[in-house]
Amino acid sequence: MLFQPVPEISLYLAWTAAVVPLAAFGAILVFFRRLPKTAAAISVAAAAVSLICAVCLLVRHWNMDAPLQSAVTWMASGEFEIAVGVLLDPLSLVMLVIVASIAFLVQVYSLGYMAGDAGYGRYFGFMSLFSWAMFGLVLAPNIVQVFIFWELVGLSSYLLIGFWFEKFSATRAGKKAFIMTRAGDTLFFWGWLILLVWGGTLSILELNSGAHGLSSAMTTAAALLVFGGIMGKSAQFPLMTWLPDAMEGPTPVSALLHSATMVAAGVFLMARLFGFFSQSDLAMAAAMAVGTLSMLLSATMAMVSRDIKQVWAYSTISQLGFMIMALAAGGYAAGIFHLTTHAGFKALLFLCAGVLIHAHETNDMFELGRAGARRMKAAMVCMTAGALALAGIWPFSGFFSKEAVMGALAGADNRLWLFCGLAGVFLTAHYTFRLIFIILFPRTEAAGGPGARHGSVSANAVMYAVLGLLTVFTLAAGFFAQGFEDFIRIHGGHAQEGHLASLAHIASPVLAVAGIVAAWMQFGSNASDQVGFAEKIGPVGRLFARRWYLDHVYAWITGRLLDRGIAEGCRRFENKVIEGALTMITGGVVFFGRMAAGWQRAMIQPKLMAAFAVMFGLILILLVV
Amino acid sequence: MQMHAAQFPFLSTILLICACGLALVLVLPKNSNAAVKWVSAACSAAALALSVFLFVAYDRGAGGMQFVERLDWIPSMGISYLNGIDGFAAPMLLLTGIVFFTGVVSMWELDYRVKEFFALFILLVLGVYGMFMALDLFFIFVWFDVSLLPMYLLIVIWGSSDREYGAMKLTLYLLAGSALILPGIIYLAAVSGLETFSVPALLENASFSGFEQKTAFLLFYIGFGILAGVWPFHSWSPTGHVAAPTAVSMLHAGVLMKIGAFGILRIGMFLCPAGWMYWSPLMAVLAVIGIVYGVMVGLRQTDLKFVIGYSSVSHMGIVGLGFATMTVDGVNGAVFQMFAHGIMTALFFSAVGHIYDRTHTREIGELGGLSAVMPAASSYFIIAALAGIGVPGLASFWAELLVFIAAFRVYPALAVISVGVLVVNALFMLRVVRNTCFGPLSPRWAHLKDMRFAMGIPRAVLAAAIVFFGLMPFLMYDLIQTASVPLIHSLGPAIGHAGPEIVETLLTKLMSVWP
Repeated sequence: MLFQPVPEISLYLAWTAAVVPLAAFGAILVFFRRLPKTAAAISVAAAAVSLICAVCLLVRHWNMDAPLQSAVTWMASGEFEIAVGVLLDPLSLVMLVIVASIAFLVQVYSLGYMAGDAGYGRYFGFMSLFSWAMFGLVLAPNIVQVFIFWELVGLSSYLLIGFWFEKFSATRAGKKAFIMTRAGDTLFFWGWLILLVWGGTLSILELNSGAHGLSSAMTTAAALLVFGGIMGKSAQFPLMTWLPDAMEGPTPVSALLHSATMVAAGVFLMARLFGFFSQSDLAMAAAMAVGTLSMLLSATMAMVSRDIKQVWAYSTISQLGFMIMALAAGGYAAGIFHLTTHAGFKALLFLCAGVLIHAHETNDMFELGRAGARRMKAAMVCMTAGALALAGIWPFSGFFSKEAVMGALAGADNRLWLFCGLAGVFLTAHYTFRLIFIILFPRTEAAGGPGARHGSVSANAVMYAVLGLLTVFTLAAGFFAQGFEDFIRIHGGHAQEGHLASLAHIASPVLAVAGIVAAWMQFGSNASDQVGFAEKIGPVGRLFARRWYLDHVYAWITGRLLDRGIAEGCRRFENKVIEGALTMITGGVVFFGRMAAGWQRAMIQPKLMAAFAVMFGLILILLVV
Repeated sequence: MQMHAAQFPFLSTILLICACGLALVLVLPKNSNAAVKWVSAACSAAALALSVFLFVAYDRGAGGMQFVERLDWIPSMGISYLNGIDGFAAPMLLLTGIVFFTGVVSMWELDYRVKEFFALFILLVLGVYGMFMALDLFFIFVWFDVSLLPMYLLIVIWGSSDREYGAMKLTLYLLAGSALILPGIIYLAAVSGLETFSVPALLENASFSGFEQKTAFLLFYIGFGILAGVWPFHSWSPTGHVAAPTAVSMLHAGVLMKIGAFGILRIGMFLCPAGWMYWSPLMAVLAVIGIVYGVMVGLRQTDLKFVIGYSSVSHMGIVGLGFATMTVDGVNGAVFQMFAHGIMTALFFSAVGHIYDRTHTREIGELGGLSAVMPAASSYFIIAALAGIGVPGLASFWAELLVFIAAFRVYPALAVISVGVLVVNALFMLRVVRNTCFGPLSPRWAHLKDMRFAMGIPRAVLAAAIVFFGLMPFLMYDLIQTASVPLIHSLGPAIGHAGPEIVETLLTKLMSVWP
């Protein structure tokens, strides 16, 4: 037996956590769209209920020894049935709490941030939809349920990224996010079709324990295809460029999207199917390569971006790359721990950025610095705390999780991954503090000016309270690393501590500090010109700034290949061949009709004569008979 | 096939309601527009209520043909008035009821030849209802033609751009279809040697040879397939949709195309299973071509209605693919897709019709930003687009899911292609949404008002149906199941499944090259 049934109370708690946001979404969209205050209250209340349920579940099952699962059949057809249910194990419990708490905090923050927006009610409705989708995904016991909510997560991020629909760029970014993740989802769909049709099971526990009928080659194929979905959702190479564009959405949305939900869903799925992925070395190697590549590429992009939100977006891709590297190296607990700490500090970074952007109405870090953003002390302190965590400095949470990741990488077969990881640590620290130093030490500062406007659109106390809570989490979370690992590791993989581990544990913080020092020399100290080393070499800077020309490739695929290539070809086929055939047929009919008509007219007299003759004959017969 | 006689002739009552509505509209004085509208609305509401009742009252445990009513019509030729519904027909009746009601209400603002419009519209629906419930080949054909002919007048008189061409093309195509169906019907009735046109009787007693089944199935497949928008016989449908007025487009794409698919199902697949089996690879290939082709051509269209018309071709391809798999899942998915696509496309045309009435243009390039002034109308449009993409929680998701699963079991390569096209489909729908509803508002449209509450009713009903069955697909599948399981079981275990062997050997070979 792979699992125990879920106790009744836990089942109710789990269902409540998942369904209440849906109810809130429905209620808001149908009844309260025009009543912003009520809508917000309902949505926040729903998030609070979910959070309470999630925490209760975690507390109840802190000492669980076997996964709990229960499901009901939602739809049956022939031999195939779709079950919806609940799977409770350390991973889903941890993820549930992360999602619920970040969703709650972000919604509370949004109360102030979005105040006065015309779509206030709609915004909170979509937020609830997002929470529902995420809870359904996290609790899913089988791949179909994962896939359903996976798509819903994509839908809600489409709606939220394009929330300001009057902005053309925002709707375009939403569309791009949807399409690119959808491209990954297609691979995922193929993958789970293989699992279902040839493997015969979609149950996560069965897949993880190897109880499926796939040969090793098909296991690899399915794992690679499922990983395709993860690449789309978690914005890994090459499906990564939607994420920086998604910054068009409201900042709290970015915070939610980047910390605990949308992009985390990909890594979550990889952790969820960790047992299955480990059955294929090739899939794990591919995941490792993709994670490493994404981590390094996005770090280089972050080094040259001037947009504060985009820097955090690139850093998200990069950190997700770290998580995938850790998982691919067999560091199950390390990957999830990094996911947890990252959720906290990335939400913090975005929400701080939101406060700054709100006050100064610009995303450009140089302008923010000039406008005197550093005078907003509380926000700057919180943001620096988040940045220290991102860079991996003791005692912030990022330090501990990054050490765990490095430990896992040290256990990998190939040393290349560890060195790439260490290079990533240096780059992370460098680009993070580039941003901090540029804002803190502007070259020229406008006196008064926009800084004075600060009072009018300032963040309220509740927003600061949220920032404070997240900062405390960022400071404290690291010290629970051991307890977290013991909890999560019950049935997961086990990272071997290789002989390189001690080297990695020393090198990683040293490199992080080195990155900060390098950033100080280029951007912080008075002698510096605030131009990064990448930007000094023109072509390299351009390459980084244009995202390694990935967008050009996509533009070519959709514009040239699809639009003006295949689609135009099909349209011409429709107009020329199908319509042409039709014209030919109708033309033929008309032609033969004309011919017959001409023949008719030509023979009119003989025919009339024949007709009269027949009639005459008939009358004659009638008379005679 | 089990037959359960009706206690009360509910099915004929639906036809009678429509007939009475038609008669009342005809006898009303010429200028009483409001009265005509109210009579039509009442008639459609009654028909809808009865359809919902039948959907609910159908006994899912018993299965088989229910509410059967029978009356000998021309005994000498074996023609009888035989009605009954099974798990396939009940959803179609519900669909017809919903689209009928919402169509009538969507045309509330019509003011040109109101009486004639509603009379023809009700006549059309009468034919559709009859077609879905008839079990006698003769009556199926009669109802089929009753539902086609009013279409010509409806498009020519009330249509918009290029209406004469559209109407003519549509009518000729569909008549060509019925020119194939009629020989098919006569052929089957003749070779059976039973002197009956009744489908259950033929099913029970006749034994058609393989050749007869193959011939007849091909006739039905092309004849009804023209109506179902099977590639390459689809080109009437986008043109027809564009030319038709709103309610007619709704009925047309929403219900009439389903008549085609339903005809293939009811006559072709029930009576000629060997033909079905023989032609199923062809059906699958044509269906997948339709799925890909519809999306691709749609991508280049600039007229909103053309866009939806081509997406319909693509979505009806999914129905064809489901039928071609010859599995319970495939047929279930296909029938659900018929329902889901009907509702979705009706909502689409309803929303577009509203936009067109206000802006007098359907050029995507000229629209934009409508969400700002018409939030309700745009929301319905967006819901329809999301359903078209196949977002979970909306009805078509479940249909597509099942069809793709079934197709992957039988035709893995074709399933892989059609799943792959989903990305392009999403691109295509979202592009339309972005260019019409989102973006900056053009000052030309700044004066527009959102729809009134009453005008929102039909759209709300359609959207609610999409969401309702999207959240509770089992309500529909439990019903369809009662018909599809016996149908597939009657085929015997003859269907071969394409196994994973080929793909697997290929992959193993590829793997062995890997270091």
